[in-house]
Amino acid sequence: MKNYSSKFKNTIILLIIGFALFPAITFAAILYLEPSSGEYQPGDTFIVEMKIDTEGECINTIEANLSFSQDILKAVDFSQGQSIIILWVKSPEINQESGLISFAGGIPGGYCGRIPGEPGVTNLLGKIIFRIPGMIVGELMEGSAEVKILDTSEVLLNDGLGTRAKLATQEAAFEILSKLEPSKDEWFQELKEDTIPPEPFEIEIHQESAIFEGKYFITFSTTDKQTGLDYYEVKEGERDWKEMGSPYLLEDQGLKSIIKVKAVDKAGNERIAEYIPEIPKRPFPYWIIILVLMGAGVIWWIIRKFKYGKK
Amino acid sequence: MFLYSGKSIIILLTSLILIGLIFSPIFLSSKEILADNLPTSVTVSITGPICGNGIREVGEQCDGGDLGGQTCVSLGYVSGTLSCYAAGMPNECTFNVSGCSAGGGGGGGGGYVPPPTVTKVIIQGKAYPEAEITLLEDGKVLTTKKADPLANFKIEITDITAGVWTFSIWAEDKEGRRSITFSFTANVTKNMTTTVSGIFLPPTIELSKVNLQKGETLNIFGQTAPESEVSISVESPEIVKKTEATKKGDWDYSLDTSPLDEGSHTTRAKAASPEGLLSSYSKVLGFYIGEGAPGVICPNADLNGDGKVNLVDFSILLYWWGKDDPCSDQNGNRRVDLPDFSIMMYYWTG
Repeated sequence: MKNYSSKFKNTIILLIIGFALFPAITFAAILYLEPSSGEYQPGDTFIVEMKIDTEGECINTIEANLSFSQDILKAVDFSQGQSIIILWVKSPEINQESGLISFAGGIPGGYCGRIPGEPGVTNLLGKIIFRIPGMIVGELMEGSAEVKILDTSEVLLNDGLGTRAKLATQEAAFEILSKLEPSKDEWFQELKEDTIPPEPFEIEIHQESAIFEGKYFITFSTTDKQTGLDYYEVKEGERDWKEMGSPYLLEDQGLKSIIKVKAVDKAGNERIAEYIPEIPKRPFPYWIIILVLMGAGVIWWIIRKFKYGKK
Repeated sequence: MFLYSGKSIIILLTSLILIGLIFSPIFLSSKEILADNLPTSVTVSITGPICGNGIREVGEQCDGGDLGGQTCVSLGYVSGTLSCYAAGMPNECTFNVSGCSAGGGGGGGGGYVPPPTVTKVIIQGKAYPEAEITLLEDGKVLTTKKADPLANFKIEITDITAGVWTFSIWAEDKEGRRSITFSFTANVTKNMTTTVSGIFLPPTIELSKVNLQKGETLNIFGQTAPESEVSISVESPEIVKKTEATKKGDWDYSLDTSPLDEGSHTTRAKAASPEGLLSSYSKVLGFYIGEGAPGVICPNADLNGDGKVNLVDFSILLYWWGKDDPCSDQNGNRRVDLPDFSIMMYYWTG
C-alpha cells in the first residue's frame, strides 16, 4: 500500500514537472536579454541587447516594459541602431527613479524570424546601455543587479486582427564585483566607430480633415544603422531649430517657409532633409515689352519731330 | 531518489509525452493557425570577396599570390618585392609595400586606386504575370518593377548602407488587385552581395459577393504564378479546397455555401508553384451569409482613404492614440491602441 501511494505521489510530481515544462516549449514568442549574466565592476558601462525569438510565428508589433535594479544600475541610454523595429509608436523611455524602461513599435509587413542562411543578427529590438556608478563615499559597491522583462510586455501577430501572441520572457542578472581593474566602456567604443549619418529621408506635406483641424502638417521618418537615431529637429524659415517628432503641425500655414528636418544619431552624426515650397509661376510680363516698344516709339517720334522741325 | 530508477524514467517520459499530446492544442491556440509563417522557400545567401582563397575578387587589392599584375614599380616605388597581407591580419588582402624600396629620394607610392567595393542586395522570386512589384525599404517605397510573363521578378539595390534592413514587397496584378505586403529582415553585409531568393508572393484574392444567402455560390478568384496549385481556406469551420491556376496565372473556385452557418466567415489562399516555391497566406477577406452584414469603417487601416497605408495613416493613428476614433479604432474596442497599430502594420503599403 505504501509502495502504491509512493508511486502515485511520484506520478503527481512528474505531472507537475510536465505542466511546468510544456508551456515553455509551445510559447509563440520569447523576449530575452543578451548577455543574460556577467561580471562587472563599478565604473563599467555595458550593453544589454533585447531580442526576440518568434518561434516561427510572424509578428508585427512589440511593446516592451522592463525593470532594472535602479539602486545599482544606471540606464544611461537606449539605442535603436540595428533594431528590427521601423516605426516607434512609443519612443524608448527610461525612468531611472522607478527603474523602468518602456518602448513600443512595429515592423510594416511583419517579422517572421531569421531567414534560412542569414548569418547576421536580425532579431534585435534595442540596446540598453547601463552604467555602474563608481565608488560611493569612498566605498566600493558590490552586489547583484537584475533586469526583468515585465508581464505587461506584449507581442502582436501579423494576422491583420491585432491578435496577442503567447509570450515568454527571460531575465538577466549581473554580478557587481570590486576587481580594481581599469573600467570598461562598451558604448563609448560603439559611438567612436560610428561616423555614418542617419539614412537619407524626405519631408512630405499633408493636410487631412481628420487631424490638426485640417491644417498642414509634415511627416518624416528615417533610421540609423549604427548607433541608432537620437532625435529630430525641425526648422521653419528663419525660426529656431526645435526638437520635434513626426507628425509635426506647421507654424507657417501659408507654406512660404523653407522647412528643414535634422535627424541626429547617438554619435552626433547629422542628416538634414529640406523642403522648398514651390513658388507659384507668374505669367510672363508681356506688358513690359509693350511698354518698352511704346517708349521706343515715342522717343523715335520725338527725335524725328525734332530733326524735321529744325529743318 | 525515484528519478534515478529505470521505472521512474519511463514514467517521466511517458507522462511528458502524454501531457504534450493532451495540452499542446491548448497552448497552440487558434492564433497560430491564423498567423502567416514565413514561406519555407525563402533563403538568403551572402556572396563577396573571401580573403585567403588566392583569388583577387571585387573589394580586394590582392589575395595571396594574386597581386592583380601590380608590382612595387607599378605602385610608384623604385624596386622591391610586393606582397599581400594574409587573411586574418588587420589589413587583410591589401598590398604590403614593406618590401618595396623608394630608392634615393624618388618614389612615393600611392598611385594605385583600389577596385571599387559594392554593397548590394538582390531580391528575386515570383509574383503574378506582368504584375507591378513595389519594393519597400524600412517601410518606405524604394522602387517599382514589372514581373515577366512567367511571374518572375528580380530587383537589385546598390548604394545601401550595411546593417539590418526590413524589405517589404507587394504586387498589383493585371486586374488591379493588390497582394498582401510580404516582409523579411536581412542583415546587409558591407562589400558583399546579399541575395534573398525563393520569394513567392501570396496570391491576390477577390470575392464575387460579400453578402449572400445560404446555399448561394461564392466565386473566389485572383492571380498567382502560372500553373500553381492554390489552396483556398474558408473559416469557420475550416474548409480547404484546391484549384490550379491557368497558364496566365488566373485562378478561381466556386464555393457552395450550403455547409456554412449563417453569419460572418473569412477566406484566404496560398499557392505552391510548379518549381516548388511556397507562398504564405493571402489577404483575409470576409463575407456574410444571411441578412444584416455589419458595415466596415475605414477598412484595411487606410485611415484617409487614399488607397495607401503609409506614414500619413500612421500620423492619423498617433493623433488619435489612446482616444476613441471610429476610423482609427480598427478592432472596435473603442480605444486606439496596439492592436489597431498591428492591423496597420499588416496592411502597410508604404
